[in-house]
Amino acid sequence: MTTRREILMGGGGILAAASLASLTVRADEPIEIRMQGRPDGSHVWFDPIGIRIMPGQTIRWINLDPGNSHTATAYHPTNFGRARRMPNGAKPWNSDYLLPDESFSITFKQPGVYDYYCVPHEHAGMVGRIVVGTAQAPGWMAAGTGDLPEQALRAFPSVEDIMQKGTIRHT
Amino acid sequence: MRILPFALATLLIGSVPVLAHDVPAAVAKSPPKGTFQQVSNLVKLPDFLPGMGQLFVDPATLPAGPFLAYDHDGKLVSTIYMIPVEDLNANKRFDDLAAPGGNVDHVDIYFNAGHPGVEKPHAHLVLWHVAKADEARVAK
Repeated sequence: MTTRREILMGGGGILAAASLASLTVRADEPIEIRMQGRPDGSHVWFDPIGIRIMPGQTIRWINLDPGNSHTATAYHPTNFGRARRMPNGAKPWNSDYLLPDESFSITFKQPGVYDYYCVPHEHAGMVGRIVVGTAQAPGWMAAGTGDLPEQALRAFPSVEDIMQKGTIRHT
Repeated sequence: MRILPFALATLLIGSVPVLAHDVPAAVAKSPPKGTFQQVSNLVKLPDFLPGMGQLFVDPATLPAGPFLAYDHDGKLVSTIYMIPVEDLNANKRFDDLAAPGGNVDHVDIYFNAGHPGVEKPHAHLVLWHVAKADEARVAK
C-alpha cells in the first residue's frame, strides 16, 4: 500500500494539483470519496459510504465541507490504539485533519475489508467501508464490534451490499 | 412646565450613549481582549466558519465556551456556547457561563455533529447580538 498526501489550497494549490495530476494520470483515475456536511454542522458524512474497488486502485478523499475539518483514519492500533478493522498486514493510514478543499489519497493493494472513520465525527456516525477485491471472510470481523460507538456501528453498510451494488451512496 | 421636557430630553440624550456602547469595548472588535484565543490557532479549523464567523475562545472554558464570533469586519455578531449532548443529564450542570457580549437580539439553538475542539455531538446555543437580517454578515 502506498500513500500520497495532496494539499489543494488556493491558487498555488491548484497549480500544484495540476502538475501533480499531469505526473500521475493513469488509466485508472482515483476514486473520489467526498467529505460533506450540512451548513450548520448538524450532519456530516462520507459519500459514498461504501465502495468496492480492485487491488491497485486509488481512493482520494476530499473535504467539500466549507465549515469543518475531517479525517479519513483507518481503524488500527497505530491510530490512537483503535481495534483493527482492516486486513492483517495491510498498512494503516491517517489523513490527519483536512481543511476545506484539501485531499488525501491511498492506493489499496491487499484484498479485504477496510473500515475507517473521521476522528472528530466518529460519534456522529461518520465512517466508511471499502472492499478491495473479491468478498473474503474478513478475520477481524470475528473479533466483535470493538470499541466503536453505536452510531458508528449502525452506519456501516454491509459487505454484502457493497459486493452486490459496488457503490453505496450516502442517503 | 419646562421641567418635564427638559427631563425627558435629558433622559433621551442619556440613553443614546448606553445604546451606542451596548457591546462592551473589550469584546466589540476582533481580537477580543483577555484570555481569548482564535479557535483556528488552537485546532485545525478554517479561520472563518460559514454561518458562525471568526471564533475566539478561552481554552480554559472548553467545551462550553463562551465562543465569541466576529464578522469579516471584525465586529462581534454572536456569543456561542457548545454543550455536549451527553452532558445534558441529571448529574451535570453548566452554571454561571460568562456572557460578555452585551445585549442579545435573538437566540438560536441547534445540534452540531462535532468538530475539532468539541469532538462529541453537541448543541450550539447562539446568542445573536445583531438583528436576524445581519446574520448574513457571517453567512459566507
